[in-house]
Amino acid sequence: MKERSDTLRTACKDFEEDLVLYYYGDGSENERIRVQDHLQTCSSCREFLEDLRKLLPQMAKPNELPSEFWDNYYDEMVQKLAAHEEHQAWWKSWFVPMRTWMMPAFGTAVVAALAIGLVISRGHWHYPFSQTQEQIPQEILTDTNQLEFFKSMDMLETLSSLEGQDGTKVQPGNNQHG
Amino acid sequence: MNQTAQQDLRDEEIVALCQQGQREVFEVLVRKYMEKAFRIAFDFTHDTEEAKDLSQEAFLRAFSRIKQFDGRSSFYTWFYRLVVNICLDHTRRKGRVIWERLEKEKEGAMETVELADGSSLPDEEAIAGEAKRRADQTLEAMPNKQRTAFLLRNHQGLSIPDIAKVMKTTEGTVRVYLHRAVAALRQSLMEFV
Repeated sequence: MKERSDTLRTACKDFEEDLVLYYYGDGSENERIRVQDHLQTCSSCREFLEDLRKLLPQMAKPNELPSEFWDNYYDEMVQKLAAHEEHQAWWKSWFVPMRTWMMPAFGTAVVAALAIGLVISRGHWHYPFSQTQEQIPQEILTDTNQLEFFKSMDMLETLSSLEGQDGTKVQPGNNQHG
Repeated sequence: MNQTAQQDLRDEEIVALCQQGQREVFEVLVRKYMEKAFRIAFDFTHDTEEAKDLSQEAFLRAFSRIKQFDGRSSFYTWFYRLVVNICLDHTRRKGRVIWERLEKEKEGAMETVELADGSSLPDEEAIAGEAKRRADQTLEAMPNKQRTAFLLRNHQGLSIPDIAKVMKTTEGTVRVYLHRAVAALRQSLMEFV
């Protein structure tokens, strides 16, 4: 390889792409004939093609690797394939008994079981937040008067919170009609 | 089936046997394509260990997806696509690292040239080494599609229709990629031609 000091001459614009294909032996027969004809009269394109012939094979030259490398590569690959297959076999042991048609059937059965379960247990389920409601102490429950008093207090509390949400305040005397 | 008989099988026959459950036949494909797969990966990575890992990953992926291969393209086109995609993913992930390495190599090359200037004329080997480095840098700097088209044509010898299948694009587009890549390389290597 020799260092060249002259400036880079470009190929004719219309032929540059075809010259690359020509170098690789690609392109149609017509294209090849067209390029060959042009090369006879154009020195820039001849130089371009010559550059490709010098340059491109050099780039493709692979680094030679010893045969041991390829033996190791192959052995390693065979081991990896075996490990991969073993891993797949482990999964298959779970899913292989289930044939293709069994998958949707299994899915349908699960959905049906869930639906039946929900219908049967309706009314017996308690939501977790219902347990947070305060339990009324036994001593209040036994006294009817006290129970009434606490119920009316609860109602007043609810009313004032509703008023608070509406942004209006009910004056003590305003709840009397007429 | 003995090993010699297996090696005489066409790719499509091997794939059919694999699909029927004779997974050990896949090793024939490994033997046949390991060098090519490694070379592609090496062209992308310039690192022997990485190239080995990536090309082996491509074989494992082909092995696990062999049942999905429908024979619409040849096995090697399908397999090349896997290798190229794995390499491109790897390049995207490691993009920054590669650029940093290239910068370092560039600095190293500059120092070498400076030293050579001070002592004696650089010999053929040094120029060839520098040309190789420059070519690698130009390839690294290319858009992925241009580089892929160039590597598959120039280094792997795939035909333009096959490259189009591997890259899932048209032959016209491959021609354009190839032309641009070659023009860029010629431009950057003109002083070494």
